[in-house]
Amino acid sequence: MDTSNPAVFVNGELLHMHVGRRVRAVIQVIQSDNVGVTGKSTDGLQVVVKGILPSFALTNFVEVIGISDGDRSIRAEMWNNFGNTFDTDNYNQLCKLANGEFKHLFI
Amino acid sequence: MYSSEFDGAAAFSGGGFMPSQAAPAPDPSFSSHKNRNVRTLLPMTVKQISEISSNDESSATIDGVDVNTVTIVGLVCSIQDKEPQFVFLIDDGTGQIECGRWAHEQMEFNEVNQISQGMYVRVYGHLKPLQDKRSLNAYCIRPVTDFNEITSHFIECIFVQLYNTRLRGGGSIQPQLTSSNNVISSNQYNIDGGKNIDQMVLNFLRRPDFLANNNGVHRNVIAQQLNLPMDKLMEALESLNENSLVYTLDECHYKSAVNA
Repeated sequence: MDTSNPAVFVNGELLHMHVGRRVRAVIQVIQSDNVGVTGKSTDGLQVVVKGILPSFALTNFVEVIGISDGDRSIRAEMWNNFGNTFDTDNYNQLCKLANGEFKHLFI
Repeated sequence: MYSSEFDGAAAFSGGGFMPSQAAPAPDPSFSSHKNRNVRTLLPMTVKQISEISSNDESSATIDGVDVNTVTIVGLVCSIQDKEPQFVFLIDDGTGQIECGRWAHEQMEFNEVNQISQGMYVRVYGHLKPLQDKRSLNAYCIRPVTDFNEITSHFIECIFVQLYNTRLRGGGSIQPQLTSSNNVISSNQYNIDGGKNIDQMVLNFLRRPDFLANNNGVHRNVIAQQLNLPMDKLMEALESLNENSLVYTLDECHYKSAVNA
Protein backbone atom coordinates (compact mmCIF):
# COMPACT_ATOMS: atom_id res chain seq x y z
CA MET A 1 0.00 0.00 0.00
CA ASP A 2 1.42 3.34 -1.03
CA THR A 3 -0.11 6.73 -0.27
CA SER A 4 2.96 8.81 -1.11
CA ASN A 5 1.81 10.06 -4.51
CA PRO A 6 -1.88 10.99 -4.40
CA ALA A 7 -3.76 12.75 -7.20
CA VAL A 8 -5.96 15.39 -5.61
CA PHE A 9 -9.44 16.18 -6.91
CA VAL A 10 -9.34 19.72 -8.30
CA ASN A 11 -11.49 22.19 -10.18
CA GLY A 12 -10.05 25.24 -11.98
CA GLU A 13 -9.98 27.39 -8.87
CA LEU A 14 -8.12 24.81 -6.76
CA LEU A 15 -5.33 24.14 -9.29
CA HIS A 16 -3.05 26.85 -7.93
CA MET A 17 -3.07 25.21 -4.48
CA HIS A 18 -1.26 22.15 -5.84
CA VAL A 19 1.40 23.51 -8.18
CA GLY A 20 4.00 20.82 -8.87
CA ARG A 21 1.81 18.08 -7.38
CA ARG A 22 -0.35 15.35 -8.92
CA VAL A 23 -3.95 16.34 -9.48
CA ARG A 24 -6.99 15.00 -11.27
CA ALA A 25 -9.71 17.04 -12.86
CA VAL A 26 -12.70 16.44 -15.07
CA ILE A 27 -12.96 18.86 -17.96
CA GLN A 28 -15.46 19.40 -20.72
CA VAL A 29 -13.47 19.44 -23.94
CA ILE A 30 -13.69 22.70 -25.87
CA GLN A 31 -10.82 22.25 -28.30
CA SER A 32 -8.22 19.56 -28.93
CA ASP A 33 -5.21 19.80 -31.25
CA ASN A 34 -1.55 18.77 -31.50
CA VAL A 35 -0.48 21.31 -28.89
CA GLY A 36 -2.91 20.42 -26.15
CA VAL A 37 -6.48 20.28 -25.01
CA THR A 38 -8.51 23.26 -23.85
CA GLY A 39 -11.48 22.54 -21.67
CA LYS A 40 -13.88 23.85 -19.09
CA SER A 41 -13.33 22.75 -15.49
CA THR A 42 -16.23 21.69 -13.29
CA ASP A 43 -16.38 25.19 -11.79
CA GLY A 44 -16.66 26.70 -15.28
CA LEU A 45 -13.09 27.99 -15.73
CA GLN A 46 -10.99 27.50 -18.84
CA VAL A 47 -8.16 25.01 -18.30
CA VAL A 48 -5.31 24.20 -20.69
CA VAL A 49 -3.86 20.67 -20.65
CA LYS A 50 -0.52 19.86 -22.24
CA GLY A 51 2.02 17.07 -21.70
CA ILE A 52 1.16 13.56 -22.87
CA LEU A 53 -1.71 13.94 -25.29
CA PRO A 54 -4.43 11.30 -25.58
CA SER A 55 -3.97 8.60 -28.21
CA PHE A 56 -7.71 8.08 -28.58
CA ALA A 57 -10.69 10.23 -29.50
CA LEU A 58 -11.95 12.21 -26.52
CA THR A 59 -15.53 12.20 -25.34
CA ASN A 60 -17.29 15.38 -24.21
CA PHE A 61 -16.08 14.91 -20.61
CA VAL A 62 -12.59 13.63 -19.83
CA GLU A 63 -10.62 13.08 -16.68
CA VAL A 64 -7.03 14.20 -16.80
CA ILE A 65 -4.47 13.08 -14.24
CA GLY A 66 -1.22 15.00 -14.20
CA ILE A 67 0.88 17.68 -12.58
CA SER A 68 -0.57 21.09 -11.79
CA ASP A 69 1.44 23.66 -13.73
CA GLY A 70 -0.07 26.64 -12.01
CA ASP A 71 -3.18 28.64 -12.62
CA ARG A 72 -5.50 26.86 -15.03
CA SER A 73 -2.84 24.56 -16.49
CA ILE A 74 -2.14 20.83 -16.14
CA ARG A 75 0.71 18.72 -17.55
CA ALA A 76 -1.11 15.49 -18.40
CA GLU A 77 0.12 11.99 -17.57
CA MET A 78 -3.08 10.07 -18.15
CA TRP A 79 -6.47 10.56 -19.79
CA ASN A 80 -9.78 8.80 -19.16
CA ASN A 81 -12.91 9.28 -21.21
CA PHE A 82 -15.87 9.98 -18.92
CA GLY A 83 -18.51 9.93 -21.68
CA ASN A 84 -20.81 12.57 -23.06
CA THR A 85 -22.84 13.23 -19.93
CA PHE A 86 -21.44 13.84 -16.47
CA ASP A 87 -22.68 15.57 -13.32
CA THR A 88 -20.14 18.38 -13.03
CA ASP A 89 -21.89 20.03 -10.05
CA ASN A 90 -21.49 16.96 -7.86
CA TYR A 91 -17.87 16.58 -8.92
CA ASN A 92 -17.23 20.24 -8.19
CA GLN A 93 -18.66 19.87 -4.68
CA LEU A 94 -16.48 16.82 -4.16
CA CYS A 95 -13.40 18.84 -5.21
CA LYS A 96 -14.23 21.46 -2.58
CA LEU A 97 -14.82 18.89 0.18
CA ALA A 98 -11.66 16.95 -0.73
CA ASN A 99 -9.59 20.12 -0.40
CA GLY A 100 -11.41 21.47 2.63
CA GLU A 101 -13.06 19.91 5.65
CA PHE A 102 -12.43 16.33 4.53
CA LYS A 103 -8.94 16.74 3.11
CA HIS A 104 -7.63 14.17 5.59
CA LEU A 105 -9.56 11.41 3.81
CA PHE A 106 -7.77 12.15 0.53
CA ILE A 107 -4.29 13.53 1.10
CA MET B 1 -30.50 -12.17 -6.01
CA TYR B 2 -30.46 -13.22 -2.40
CA SER B 3 -33.72 -12.98 -0.59
CA SER B 4 -33.93 -10.54 2.26
CA GLU B 5 -34.19 -13.48 4.64
CA PHE B 6 -30.78 -14.85 3.69
CA ASP B 7 -28.78 -15.25 6.87
CA GLY B 8 -25.11 -15.21 5.97
CA ALA B 9 -24.00 -16.01 9.49
CA ALA B 10 -26.19 -19.09 9.65
CA ALA B 11 -25.18 -20.22 6.16
CA PHE B 12 -21.45 -20.07 6.81
CA SER B 13 -21.30 -20.86 10.48
CA GLY B 14 -21.17 -24.64 10.02
CA GLY B 15 -23.93 -27.01 11.01
CA GLY B 16 -25.58 -29.41 8.60
CA PHE B 17 -23.24 -32.35 8.27
CA MET B 18 -20.50 -30.68 10.23
CA PRO B 19 -20.10 -32.13 13.70
CA SER B 20 -20.82 -29.58 16.33
CA GLN B 21 -17.60 -30.47 18.16
CA ALA B 22 -15.62 -29.27 15.15
CA ALA B 23 -16.93 -25.77 15.49
CA PRO B 24 -14.72 -23.56 17.62
CA ALA B 25 -16.17 -22.51 20.93
CA PRO B 26 -17.69 -19.06 20.70
CA ASP B 27 -15.57 -16.33 22.16
CA PRO B 28 -17.53 -14.88 25.08
CA SER B 29 -16.12 -11.43 24.33
CA PHE B 30 -17.54 -11.58 20.82
CA SER B 31 -20.90 -10.02 21.54
CA SER B 32 -23.79 -9.83 19.11
CA HIS B 33 -23.18 -6.08 18.92
CA LYS B 34 -19.62 -6.62 17.74
CA ASN B 35 -20.75 -9.32 15.33
CA ARG B 36 -23.16 -6.89 13.72
CA ASN B 37 -20.44 -4.27 13.30
CA VAL B 38 -18.01 -6.71 11.75
CA ARG B 39 -20.46 -7.35 8.94
CA THR B 40 -20.58 -3.71 7.92
CA LEU B 41 -19.55 -2.75 4.41
CA LEU B 42 -17.65 0.54 4.48
CA PRO B 43 -16.91 2.72 1.46
CA MET B 44 -13.35 3.89 1.99
CA THR B 45 -10.44 5.67 0.37
CA VAL B 46 -7.04 3.94 0.29
CA LYS B 47 -5.75 6.76 2.50
CA GLN B 48 -8.33 5.81 5.14
CA ILE B 49 -7.42 2.13 4.87
CA SER B 50 -3.77 3.05 5.42
CA GLU B 51 -4.74 4.73 8.69
CA ILE B 52 -6.69 1.84 10.20
CA SER B 53 -5.59 1.56 13.77
CA SER B 54 -4.88 -2.11 14.27
CA ASN B 55 -2.60 -4.59 12.53
CA ASP B 56 -4.92 -7.37 13.56
CA GLU B 57 -7.71 -8.16 11.12
CA SER B 58 -10.16 -9.11 13.86
CA SER B 59 -9.86 -5.81 15.70
CA ALA B 60 -9.20 -3.31 12.92
CA THR B 61 -11.23 -0.18 13.58
CA ILE B 62 -11.69 3.24 12.08
CA ASP B 63 -13.83 6.06 13.52
CA GLY B 64 -14.94 3.68 16.26
CA VAL B 65 -16.32 1.09 13.81
CA ASP B 66 -14.94 -2.40 13.24
CA VAL B 67 -13.64 -2.72 9.70
CA ASN B 68 -13.79 -5.96 7.83
CA THR B 69 -15.44 -5.58 4.45
CA VAL B 70 -14.79 -2.46 2.42
CA THR B 71 -15.48 -1.11 -1.05
CA ILE B 72 -13.14 1.09 -3.05
CA VAL B 73 -13.27 2.67 -6.52
CA GLY B 74 -10.10 3.30 -8.50
CA LEU B 75 -7.98 2.78 -11.57
CA VAL B 76 -6.33 -0.55 -12.36
CA CYS B 77 -2.57 0.16 -12.50
CA SER B 78 -1.40 -3.41 -13.04
CA ILE B 79 -2.68 -6.96 -13.14
CA GLN B 80 -0.61 -9.99 -12.11
CA ASP B 81 -1.87 -13.36 -13.24
CA LYS B 82 -0.91 -15.85 -10.52
CA GLU B 83 -3.68 -18.27 -11.37
CA PRO B 84 -5.80 -19.15 -9.52
CA GLN B 85 -5.23 -15.76 -7.92
CA PHE B 86 -5.16 -12.48 -9.83
CA VAL B 87 -3.59 -9.48 -8.12
CA PHE B 88 -4.83 -6.03 -9.14
CA LEU B 89 -2.99 -2.89 -8.09
CA ILE B 90 -5.73 -0.28 -7.63
CA ASP B 91 -5.04 3.46 -7.44
CA ASP B 92 -7.99 5.51 -6.16
CA GLY B 93 -6.09 8.81 -6.29
CA THR B 94 -5.46 8.77 -2.53
CA GLY B 95 -3.11 5.78 -2.69
CA GLN B 96 -2.50 2.36 -4.16
CA ILE B 97 -3.55 -1.00 -2.73
CA GLU B 98 -3.21 -4.58 -3.93
CA CYS B 99 -6.44 -6.51 -4.34
CA GLY B 100 -6.25 -10.27 -4.76
CA ARG B 101 -9.12 -12.06 -6.48
CA TRP B 102 -9.25 -15.84 -6.44
CA ALA B 103 -10.78 -17.48 -9.52
CA HIS B 104 -11.82 -21.12 -9.57
CA GLU B 105 -15.15 -21.16 -11.40
CA GLN B 106 -15.69 -20.06 -14.99
CA MET B 107 -17.90 -17.23 -13.76
CA GLU B 108 -15.02 -15.90 -11.65
CA PHE B 109 -12.61 -16.10 -14.61
CA ASN B 110 -15.16 -14.20 -16.71
CA GLU B 111 -15.33 -11.51 -14.03
CA VAL B 112 -11.54 -11.18 -13.92
CA ASN B 113 -11.11 -11.29 -17.69
CA GLN B 114 -13.31 -8.25 -18.25
CA ILE B 115 -10.88 -6.11 -16.22
CA SER B 116 -8.00 -4.43 -18.03
CA GLN B 117 -5.25 -2.02 -17.11
CA GLY B 118 -6.25 1.67 -17.04
CA MET B 119 -9.89 0.84 -16.33
CA TYR B 120 -11.92 2.27 -13.43
CA VAL B 121 -13.26 -0.52 -11.23
CA ARG B 122 -15.24 -1.00 -8.05
CA VAL B 123 -13.84 -3.58 -5.67
CA TYR B 124 -15.57 -5.22 -2.73
CA GLY B 125 -13.27 -7.11 -0.43
CA HIS B 126 -12.12 -8.16 2.99
CA LEU B 127 -9.19 -6.42 4.61
CA LYS B 128 -6.25 -8.75 4.89
CA PRO B 129 -4.11 -8.50 7.98
CA LEU B 130 -1.10 -6.30 7.75
CA GLN B 131 2.05 -8.37 7.36
CA ASP B 132 4.39 -6.16 5.48
CA LYS B 133 1.53 -4.26 3.85
CA ARG B 134 -2.25 -4.17 4.06
CA SER B 135 -4.21 -5.51 1.09
CA LEU B 136 -7.71 -6.55 0.06
CA ASN B 137 -9.01 -10.03 -0.52
CA ALA B 138 -11.53 -9.12 -3.23
CA TYR B 139 -14.74 -11.07 -3.65
CA CYS B 140 -16.11 -8.87 -6.42
CA ILE B 141 -14.41 -6.61 -8.92
CA ARG B 142 -16.34 -4.97 -11.71
CA PRO B 143 -15.77 -2.16 -14.24
CA VAL B 144 -17.26 1.27 -13.57
CA THR B 145 -19.45 2.18 -16.53
CA ASP B 146 -21.18 5.30 -15.20
CA PHE B 147 -18.40 7.66 -14.13
CA ASN B 148 -20.70 9.50 -11.74
CA GLU B 149 -20.16 6.41 -9.58
CA ILE B 150 -16.64 7.69 -8.88
CA THR B 151 -18.01 10.95 -7.51
CA SER B 152 -20.73 9.20 -5.54
CA HIS B 153 -18.27 6.72 -4.02
CA PHE B 154 -16.06 9.45 -2.59
CA ILE B 155 -19.09 11.42 -1.36
CA GLU B 156 -20.22 8.23 0.38
CA CYS B 157 -16.77 7.92 1.97
CA ILE B 158 -17.17 11.45 3.32
CA PHE B 159 -20.72 10.83 4.55
CA VAL B 160 -19.87 7.56 6.29
CA GLN B 161 -16.85 9.13 7.99
CA LEU B 162 -18.98 12.10 9.06
CA TYR B 163 -21.74 9.80 10.32
CA ASN B 164 -19.38 7.59 12.30
CA THR B 165 -17.43 10.42 13.89
CA ARG B 166 -20.09 13.00 14.62
CA LEU B 167 -23.67 11.89 14.03
CA ARG B 168 -23.36 8.41 15.52
CA GLY B 169 -21.14 9.72 18.30
CA GLY B 170 -18.18 7.47 17.45
CA GLY B 171 -15.02 7.19 19.44
CA SER B 172 -12.95 9.72 17.60
CA ILE B 173 -14.93 12.88 18.32
CA GLN B 174 -12.43 15.64 18.75
CA PRO B 175 -13.15 17.99 21.63
CA GLN B 176 -12.39 21.05 19.53
CA LEU B 177 -14.75 19.78 16.83
CA THR B 178 -17.55 19.38 19.33
CA SER B 179 -16.90 22.80 20.72
CA SER B 180 -16.96 24.46 17.35
CA ASN B 181 -20.24 22.71 16.56
CA ASN B 182 -21.73 24.16 19.68
CA VAL B 183 -20.60 27.63 18.82
CA ILE B 184 -22.15 27.40 15.38
CA SER B 185 -25.31 25.79 16.66
CA SER B 186 -25.92 28.21 19.48
CA ASN B 187 -26.11 31.03 17.02
CA GLN B 188 -28.49 29.15 14.76
CA TYR B 189 -30.88 27.37 17.10
CA ASN B 190 -33.87 29.53 16.40
CA ILE B 191 -33.40 29.35 12.63
CA ASP B 192 -33.28 25.63 12.07
CA GLY B 193 -35.96 24.55 14.51
CA GLY B 194 -36.30 21.84 17.11
CA LYS B 195 -34.29 19.10 15.51
CA ASN B 196 -31.21 21.28 15.45
CA ILE B 197 -31.66 22.10 19.13
CA ASP B 198 -31.86 18.38 19.91
CA GLN B 199 -28.60 17.79 18.05
CA MET B 200 -26.96 20.77 19.69
CA VAL B 201 -27.92 19.56 23.17
CA LEU B 202 -26.79 16.04 22.31
CA ASN B 203 -23.43 17.31 21.03
CA PHE B 204 -23.04 19.30 24.23
CA LEU B 205 -23.74 16.28 26.45
CA ARG B 206 -21.32 14.20 24.38
CA ARG B 207 -18.38 16.42 25.19
CA PRO B 208 -15.67 14.20 26.61
CA ASP B 209 -15.58 16.05 29.94
CA PHE B 210 -19.33 15.53 30.42
CA LEU B 211 -19.19 11.91 29.30
CA ALA B 212 -16.57 11.30 31.95
CA ASN B 213 -18.68 12.96 34.65
CA ASN B 214 -20.93 10.41 36.36
CA ASN B 215 -23.14 13.05 37.93
CA GLY B 216 -24.50 14.33 34.61
CA VAL B 217 -24.96 17.96 33.67
CA HIS B 218 -27.45 20.28 35.38
CA ARG B 219 -30.10 21.63 33.01
CA ASN B 220 -29.29 25.20 34.11
CA VAL B 221 -25.69 24.69 32.98
CA ILE B 222 -26.82 23.37 29.58
CA ALA B 223 -29.26 26.28 29.14
CA GLN B 224 -26.64 28.82 30.14
CA GLN B 225 -23.80 27.39 28.04
CA LEU B 226 -25.94 26.95 24.93
CA ASN B 227 -27.83 30.19 25.48
CA LEU B 228 -31.17 28.38 25.25
CA PRO B 229 -34.49 29.29 26.86
CA MET B 230 -35.43 26.67 29.48
CA ASP B 231 -38.67 25.66 27.75
CA LYS B 232 -36.84 24.95 24.47
CA LEU B 233 -34.15 23.03 26.34
CA MET B 234 -36.69 20.90 28.20
CA GLU B 235 -38.48 20.08 24.94
CA ALA B 236 -35.18 18.94 23.45
CA LEU B 237 -34.21 16.92 26.53
CA GLU B 238 -37.62 15.20 26.63
CA SER B 239 -37.37 14.35 22.95
CA LEU B 240 -33.83 12.99 23.36
CA ASN B 241 -34.93 11.06 26.44
CA GLU B 242 -37.82 9.47 24.54
CA ASN B 243 -35.37 8.37 21.86
CA SER B 244 -33.02 6.93 24.51
CA LEU B 245 -30.22 9.26 23.47
CA VAL B 246 -29.99 10.88 26.91
CA TYR B 247 -31.22 9.89 30.38
CA THR B 248 -31.93 11.73 33.61
CA LEU B 249 -30.09 11.05 36.83
CA ASP B 250 -32.60 13.09 38.83
CA GLU B 251 -35.02 15.85 37.90
CA CYS B 252 -32.28 18.24 36.86
CA HIS B 253 -29.19 16.31 35.76
CA TYR B 254 -28.86 14.80 32.29
CA LYS B 255 -26.29 12.53 30.67
CA SER B 256 -25.72 11.20 27.15
CA ALA B 257 -26.64 7.54 26.73
CA VAL B 258 -23.66 7.07 24.41
CA ASN B 259 -20.52 5.79 26.13
CA ALA B 260 -22.45 5.97 29.38
